[in-house]
Amino acid sequence: MDKNAFLDELANILDEANVEDAANLRDYPSWDSLAVLSIVALADSKFGFTLKFPDVKGLTTVADLWAFFEKNRTK
Amino acid sequence: MKFKFKDKAITGMMVVVPEQERLFVDDMKMFNAPENRSRKLAMVMGYNAHRVVEDGVCASDLAEYGFKNLFETGKIKPEEIDALVYVTLSPDHFMPPTSCILHGKLGLRRDCFCTDIAQGCCGFIVGLLQALQLLEQQGVNKVAVVNADVLSRKVSPKDRNSYPLIGDAATITIVENRPGAGDVVADVRFDGTRSMALKVPAGGFRQPSTPETAIMSADEEGNERAPDNLVMDGTAVFNFVMADVPPMLSDLVMDAGKDFAGIDKYYFHQPNRFMLQKLAEKLDVPYEKMPNNVVEHYGNSSGATIPSAMALNDFESLCRETKKVCFSGFGVGLTYGGIVMNCGNFDFCETINYPNKGE
Repeated sequence: MDKNAFLDELANILDEANVEDAANLRDYPSWDSLAVLSIVALADSKFGFTLKFPDVKGLTTVADLWAFFEKNRTK
Repeated sequence: MKFKFKDKAITGMMVVVPEQERLFVDDMKMFNAPENRSRKLAMVMGYNAHRVVEDGVCASDLAEYGFKNLFETGKIKPEEIDALVYVTLSPDHFMPPTSCILHGKLGLRRDCFCTDIAQGCCGFIVGLLQALQLLEQQGVNKVAVVNADVLSRKVSPKDRNSYPLIGDAATITIVENRPGAGDVVADVRFDGTRSMALKVPAGGFRQPSTPETAIMSADEEGNERAPDNLVMDGTAVFNFVMADVPPMLSDLVMDAGKDFAGIDKYYFHQPNRFMLQKLAEKLDVPYEKMPNNVVEHYGNSSGATIPSAMALNDFESLCRETKKVCFSGFGVGLTYGGIVMNCGNFDFCETINYPNKGE
């Protein structure tokens, strides 16, 4: 999955038409435990790594999240 | 720990669910969350209806009701039961063991072995293993495994993470020696370093219940619960299931001389639809081989979900034919395990309602 596909998936999870690199994740109205779980599941199934809740807490923007996925992906 | 048995079979199953039903659309009104997000949650997780006991009803009341039905309809006789394995996280009392209370109420023999096991999500696996071990003893021919929980009484209705999925139920599984039944292969693993991922913090000896432990407070998402309530770290549990359960099952299925495609049916613990679908994808097993609809019909009733899934989806075929099945339970403990065995040609497989007492 490339960055564009990731951003589409993230937008879908957050009920948004699209998401911006610079946007703060917590500013999206749909950022909640269901969104976090969906992102954790995405990391597991499409990127082959375990994303832990404390890791998510340390990430601020959409770009931070993508960078973390890029760094930890095994597939 | 790995186990192997021969010529032992499940011969009957009875599921008892409370008549009282709660609907997610009503639960939703108690949550501090936007309605559109609650609706999405319900769609993803498969929340719809769940069965919960009325005030004051204990897990053993459901179990007793099920046994009495089996006795009255002549499906089993009390004097035939050689052992009673009672698996629960919601005992009637700290003392005495609930299996002893049931022993008295059901009129079981003095030499019927009774034991309580404190297990939840993996309780069907652990209880069945205890029954299989007892059946190795001479003179033990029929063991009743009870999985019973009323954990709705420990969940805060204002907790969106746990309340919509919780269900209460008791199941009775009859296990017997059956020449020709074939091999039973099992594996159960534990990770106590993560034992606090699912817990009821107060109410035991470590932190007794007090007026203070009943005081609710809100977490960062607005879920309100008290130390007396069940709490789970949902993300950690999800990651545990995805990371640790598939390799264990892969070993197990290989030990049974099979591959994933060679198993006819996967009856797994039912935490929610989402987790079961992800697990099926990871094992490359088609959704229709792994039922995931117990949460939407009855709720997650801890150790009782596997028999509930069987009786809900396959009560007819389980009485008619034998299939190669894989059971798996995973959760509180953390405990995770599986059993591969031939399963079917049951004498009975049914679900009954425990009637409401209130008006």
